[in-house]
Amino acid sequence: MPLKGIRTVTAARNGVGAFILQCKRLDFHYCDWAGSSRGMVSFLKHSLPAFAKENPQIEIRVSPRPHKHPVIKGHYINGREKAVCVRNLEPEQILQKANLLKEASGEKLKRTKKPVTSINESVRGIWSPYHGDLRTI
Amino acid sequence: MKRLQLQRWSSSVLSSRARTGGRLQRHLYSSNRFQSTASNPLPSESDLAGEQSTASSGSTPFLKFTKRQLPSPPVQAARESAKLAALHARLYLPSRLPLETLARCLVDASADPDPQFNNTSLALLGNDLLSNYISEHIVCTYPRLPLTVIFAAVYAYIGPKTLAAMVREWGVEHAAFPGGEVDPGLLQFKRVAPGTDISAEPIRGTTRPNEDQTTWRRSITSSVVYDNEYGDPVMAPKPPADPSGSSPQPPVTAEQASCSLVRAVMGAIYLHAGRLAAKRFFEQHILSRHLNLSELFNFSQPVRDLARLCARENYEQPVAKIISETGRKSRHPVFVVGIYSGKDKLGEGVGGSLVEARSRAAVAALKGWYLYSPLEVRVPSSTEEPGAAPWKPVYVDLGEVIV
Repeated sequence: MPLKGIRTVTAARNGVGAFILQCKRLDFHYCDWAGSSRGMVSFLKHSLPAFAKENPQIEIRVSPRPHKHPVIKGHYINGREKAVCVRNLEPEQILQKANLLKEASGEKLKRTKKPVTSINESVRGIWSPYHGDLRTI
Repeated sequence: MKRLQLQRWSSSVLSSRARTGGRLQRHLYSSNRFQSTASNPLPSESDLAGEQSTASSGSTPFLKFTKRQLPSPPVQAARESAKLAALHARLYLPSRLPLETLARCLVDASADPDPQFNNTSLALLGNDLLSNYISEHIVCTYPRLPLTVIFAAVYAYIGPKTLAAMVREWGVEHAAFPGGEVDPGLLQFKRVAPGTDISAEPIRGTTRPNEDQTTWRRSITSSVVYDNEYGDPVMAPKPPADPSGSSPQPPVTAEQASCSLVRAVMGAIYLHAGRLAAKRFFEQHILSRHLNLSELFNFSQPVRDLARLCARENYEQPVAKIISETGRKSRHPVFVVGIYSGKDKLGEGVGGSLVEARSRAAVAALKGWYLYSPLEVRVPSSTEEPGAAPWKPVYVDLGEVIV
């Protein structure tokens, strides 16, 4: 057979077509007794329904964790999870933390030196020493 | 926590309720399953209220009683699953696609052999839609592609590996074992036992005649007739052993189950939300993925192919010329060779030897020919919309060079 096709897999480009939010689950843990959970309990009572309605693509679980500090855990599509301790925080600060976990990609935090990466090849091409006006010495 | 789970297991194993699996009772429960299927998406308000009242009054304890004996979650459980609702929102599925149908899409035939509760029918429809949309897109966008490359491109877009990757990127989790008590937001299938060699024996029972003659040549053109959309052999349909379709199915791999999920979602969108929504879903989730078509070619004799192509198209015979070179007598020479047909340069390649550079140049020329794409591409399915412009025939090429 003179010409064969090579089987590959297409690469996903999240956001080019559909954008899939990478945070798939948020777990809210609180304690009914401890004072460090006071803000968390108020957040769960008053702000969480609105937060859940704004973000229907996130599964939300609320469960008690007695005698421990309140924690928000985010579970991501890449299999990693992130946990933020929200002890003694006000409900507004907890909402900020929840938004932080929602917007995270799940990857480890890295310093981005080159903010733009692309899988498309360069439009301009790469400079070649063998083309153009060649000069002989 | 462990003690709690132990109690739960023990109750399911030891209690008299779970062990009453008499033939008569099973028959009763199986007939009870037919009370509601997923294909009734939008009941009116009064219907809903009525159902809820009956559910709360009488059927709830009965439902709990039978849940563990069902092979897949009951239809009513779909409304209570947070995972399922989150998946529905994450994929931007149209609101006309009910959660019950999405739950049905997540049940593979190996988990629930009943065709009214698994995704086989939806996956069949979805696979036909996917292969139709992707093949018309590839053929209309690149009319000169050779058939082997078309097969490879279709495989790259909607092949099993890609669909399994998509399911992973959607964040769908797999259930450890299917059952009625499992969350309906998990992909349910019966797994192949670990250590099983999947591709151990040669494929038998395909639709191709004389399949036992392994030494016979199988032309690529015959794959259009006998093989599926990727050029793989198609298994001939077997007559079902049980006419009701409830015989247990063989276990499947996670990849196969993921494939059936994506196909079933496509089919379900088409059925519930119509053609436009299905096409949008296809464009957003499948066509938006990146594929470099020029990496799918594997030439064995590019120089010969190019000579035949030029002869067929009545071009002058291709001639290779050195454009520039350096270090011919050194350890690392570089030659830049162009292939010319008359005055036109067809392609150019760089290599460490003259032969290598020439074959690279021929490959570049052939890719330039095969990857031609017309400026305004229209696919036949775009004429299905109301008020669409009439179909104008697209460019049809002679096809690849036959050597």
